[in-house]
Amino acid sequence: MTMNELSASTRVAWAVCIRGMQRIRARPVLIIPTVIMPVVLVVSFSGSFSSLTRIDGYGTDNIYNWMAPYAALQGAVFAGIGGVGSVADDIENGFFDRLLLTPGSHSALLVGTVGYSALRAFLPTTAVLLISLLIGGLTIPGGLLGLITLYLAAASMAMVFCLTGLVIVYKLKSHRSLMLVQVLAFGALFISVGQVPLSFMQGWLHTAARLNPVSNVLELARQGFLGQVAWQTTWPGLVALAAMITVTGFFARRGLYRLTP
Amino acid sequence: MTVVIEAQGLERSFGDLKAVAGIDLAVEEGEVFGFLGPNGAGKSTAVRMFTTLLRPTGGMARVAGFDVVSQAAEVRKNIGVALQDAAIDPLMTGNELVRLQAVLHGIARPEAKKRGGELLERVGLTAAADRRVGTYSGGMRRRLDLALSLIHEPHVLFLDEPTTGLDPTSRLALWEEVRRLNQDQGTTVFLTTQYLEEADELAGRIAIIDEGRLVREGTPAELKASVGAPTLRIDIDPEHVDQAQSVLSRFGIDRPARNGRVAVGLDGGVAKVAEVVQSLESAGVEVLHLELDAPSLDDVFAEATGRRLEGATQHHE
Repeated sequence: MTMNELSASTRVAWAVCIRGMQRIRARPVLIIPTVIMPVVLVVSFSGSFSSLTRIDGYGTDNIYNWMAPYAALQGAVFAGIGGVGSVADDIENGFFDRLLLTPGSHSALLVGTVGYSALRAFLPTTAVLLISLLIGGLTIPGGLLGLITLYLAAASMAMVFCLTGLVIVYKLKSHRSLMLVQVLAFGALFISVGQVPLSFMQGWLHTAARLNPVSNVLELARQGFLGQVAWQTTWPGLVALAAMITVTGFFARRGLYRLTP
Repeated sequence: MTVVIEAQGLERSFGDLKAVAGIDLAVEEGEVFGFLGPNGAGKSTAVRMFTTLLRPTGGMARVAGFDVVSQAAEVRKNIGVALQDAAIDPLMTGNELVRLQAVLHGIARPEAKKRGGELLERVGLTAAADRRVGTYSGGMRRRLDLALSLIHEPHVLFLDEPTTGLDPTSRLALWEEVRRLNQDQGTTVFLTTQYLEEADELAGRIAIIDEGRLVREGTPAELKASVGAPTLRIDIDPEHVDQAQSVLSRFGIDRPARNGRVAVGLDGGVAKVAEVVQSLESAGVEVLHLELDAPSLDDVFAEATGRRLEGATQHHE
């Protein structure tokens, strides 16, 4: 790819990303559920199970410090799936054909959509943190680095589930197919260390949560809210994210290129 | 002249269904080429192959000198496409869509702004440019679709049923724009339509497609001339259709017609009308209404396929 082609592709990706934001501005309801849902989760779960953190093993005595990163990641995952929703709309109403008629690289369309999804993830993450701060006394012992780690994990999880959604939507070409991604997302989030520490789990659930790469990402995201950011917790999360983005990205790109010659 | 759209044995199958069953055609630079056929004939499938949106399952096609499969990106640089149903995001404004389209075609921002403004003015949408497309009428959406397809000044323009669902005024405005593009800028236009009148008005040459195959090709005048005799259509009591057809067979070739009507390619034209009426009355068939039409593209279609186009039937009724 020449520099000119790279520059053109970057412009296309950015335009696709900006288009997503323009759609949100035109119809804010496109993002509201993604913001509200994790806020409800953190408030309701933390309210109902506020005493849980009295048990040793959580690493904090404030349930909001445990739950907020989990709720933020859940919001990010659905922000990613929501980003695919606009692609599904485009495919169903024919607008995607117009995008496919770009003479440039089709990968730019994919990158733009993933970038848009990552940007979307900032909204629920910020909303969860603000609400947790206001009503739950959330603290960030890991400081700015802890905050950055959470946002990085959130944006990356949005990308992973955006790419997963794209694999399915490019194949099935319908909005309804996103239900499959939601099932995958719930499965990946629930069978993880999202709600309780790994040491509390037993049997198959323990094994599944330990092997689930989302657990590594949750530990990456959560560490700054339980203590200082440490490399031994950071790198497994980064590796998990890189692996998930690589695998889902490969299949999403393949699906996109199968749509046209 | 240079051939800018070429197909040889072009095929597309979906499972057992052959949507396009081996078509050969050549469209020369500067032509308005009409691709006429009923719903489901294979028009849109063919256009999707020419515009690189669908991979052929057989044969080959070249557009603007490039193969639609192996040189798809080059093809896309040279074509403008307005697909069926004006595929436009209803949440975006006209201006936003024009800017996006310009970026997709690698046009620098200042140039995009200039061209976008000119195009929106040309299609009469300057005042509505900052409104969401969801608030546009069908005609406005079509005109915006056309403007978007022209932003990169393509050599070849594909219009897939551009006026389907439009009111007569919007249809005429779009026809005028297509003529202007072809005459002023020399843009080659490949137009699919199910409207005979549209093909007749706009196209210099027409191919008729039915069930995935080209059944006729030529200029409108050539095609009509090939049918020969004018068509005499007679409304009668539906119970007397068999008797009427028996009488009419003495005057020319039977032509398809809707229920309660018979039609014949009348050898001898208007001079024979009185004799036909007398013969029908002698046979006990009352003539309720009759009309004699010069050969039309509908007659060409009917002669080629044994059926009439839906739009044409409505027109005659």
